[in-house]
Amino acid sequence: MRARPSPMAGSLGPMLLVALLAALLYWPLMLAVNVGAAQRTLDSGAVLDCQTALSCATRLRNPVLPAPAQLGNSLRAMSVPPLAPTSMPYNTLVTAGETLVGLLIAVVLGVGLAVALVASRAFERVTLPWLIASQTVPVIALAPMLAVVLGQYGVQGWLPKALIAAYIAFFPVAVGVAAGLRSPDPMQEDLLTTYRASGWQTFWTLRLPASVPFLFTSLKVGATAALIGSIVAEISTISFSGLGKMLAENSRASDTLALWVIMLYGAGLGIALVAVLGMVERWVTPWQAGQSR
Amino acid sequence: MGDTVAGRAVTLGRGPAGRWPGLGGWLTLGLGVALLLSAVWTVWGFALDSVPPERRGLSVVLLVVGLAGGISGLARIARRTAGLVPALLAALLTLIAVEALLRAYGVPPGLIPTPTRVLTALATSRAVLLGDARVTFVQEALVGYLFGAGAGILVALAAVRFPFLERGALPYAGLFSSIPIVALAPVIVKAFGLEWTSKAIIVGITVFFPVVVNVVRGLQSASPLLLDLMRTYAVTPAASFRLVRVPSALPFLFNALKIGSTLALIGAIVGEFFGTTGQGLGFRIQIEAGRFNLDIVWAAIVIASVLGIAFYGAVSWLEARFTGWHARRR
Repeated sequence: MRARPSPMAGSLGPMLLVALLAALLYWPLMLAVNVGAAQRTLDSGAVLDCQTALSCATRLRNPVLPAPAQLGNSLRAMSVPPLAPTSMPYNTLVTAGETLVGLLIAVVLGVGLAVALVASRAFERVTLPWLIASQTVPVIALAPMLAVVLGQYGVQGWLPKALIAAYIAFFPVAVGVAAGLRSPDPMQEDLLTTYRASGWQTFWTLRLPASVPFLFTSLKVGATAALIGSIVAEISTISFSGLGKMLAENSRASDTLALWVIMLYGAGLGIALVAVLGMVERWVTPWQAGQSR
Repeated sequence: MGDTVAGRAVTLGRGPAGRWPGLGGWLTLGLGVALLLSAVWTVWGFALDSVPPERRGLSVVLLVVGLAGGISGLARIARRTAGLVPALLAALLTLIAVEALLRAYGVPPGLIPTPTRVLTALATSRAVLLGDARVTFVQEALVGYLFGAGAGILVALAAVRFPFLERGALPYAGLFSSIPIVALAPVIVKAFGLEWTSKAIIVGITVFFPVVVNVVRGLQSASPLLLDLMRTYAVTPAASFRLVRVPSALPFLFNALKIGSTLALIGAIVGEFFGTTGQGLGFRIQIEAGRFNLDIVWAAIVIASVLGIAFYGAVSWLEARFTGWHARRR
């Protein structure tokens, strides 16, 4: 499992310094990669409000790397009014909603499958190789297909996106929870046997609580995957809102600045999802606090 | 899938694994497969929507009975057989059942193609698909993967050598790995052009972050006791790095490489959704899905899946070779 170090590990000073360094390096890098295109624009005789290639490098309409001011302007232009159908906060919320519903479906199905896997050795032997194989399959390739099939059966709107997100997040959750259900110490199981606990009671009092930390670890992996899933689903289905629709639209229109803004929002959403899951994790399993698996 | 029934049916007994399975399971499975095949045969060769209702009814009855027999036989076999055999048998059952179901109800191939149609598409357009696979896998995924992993290892070494970097830059690596790569892909394709290099760069970035995070954690997981021991023996720092830190980092490195092998193909395919020079599995999937040539789309998905599994398998094989002492513990 991929584990992330806590971003607040008492290293705020170095982190800020690195951010500052990156910001300082960004400016010359941006000039260097844009100056060629700026020169070409000048040579073509386009009317710009700048004279030298160097000063034009920060004003290109489609820069390779945008100047901070350009990015800021686009960010502001695309963020107001926040809840208009063409603005970023609204579209980000749409994608976030699809991803969260998808995660919810993934948890229900994943826990169910994990219980079946742990309950039956034969079921595990039949399905586990395919579960592992499906994790190595580029599931993204399936998203356009699922979108077509679901669309033909009248499943439209946000639901197919949530289902595709669920499909992608489902396997990490199932595998993680199955590992969690198996995690209790044989000693603890023996103790419960001594108490003459039934299999059901062992499951309910020992196995299920033991699987919760595993659930959260795999949910954090699944959240990023589910977000990718819902964005890809928006790209490859008919959609009227969402980050994926904005990406597809602006990629077709070659609006690089808009793509950068969408990328920032996508990054923010990904980080926010993982952070929210981390908060829920700390609230649900306080005994695991600060312990990254 | 009806596999849950099988799962519930066998919770009671658990036979010993590895022994030659009883004949009863195989016979029941064989009977089930025969019934499923006859279910396919009943509706074989009819055009869409022209399956006579009584044929369809017969086929569905055969399908249900055959599936029940096949699953119960499979459950008995799976109780005694470990390894890939039960899973492969399950796939066979599922494929025949899907074929029968799709044909009985005359589902148009523009919606869900039957497995035989996908196989036909695999055979007829194999030249195109192999060309796509070469671009997507060899050029984009593999090149990007090697560069991303290499850069990740170098950065991880630097982070361990300079604690400032570790405390200042490493948290960002964790942060970056929760960014959806699809949001990154169009920007990179726009910046670096439609050639395969832009996709290789996307793959490299995707692979880079898990490698950095994991290798740093691995290098630091070296037991302080062993490091102290090395110091006691007056081993040079370089040698102690090689003898203690590198071996303890290897399992973490391979874990990241396995995660990366999955991400690499995803990154390449998603990158192709945003523009190519007209080749690649992702491009093929996108364009043929638009034309409703779903049999070719599924064929491309099959190839991508086989490549993904093979890539993962190759990395796992390397892992077993280099960390055999550790892999046993799992």
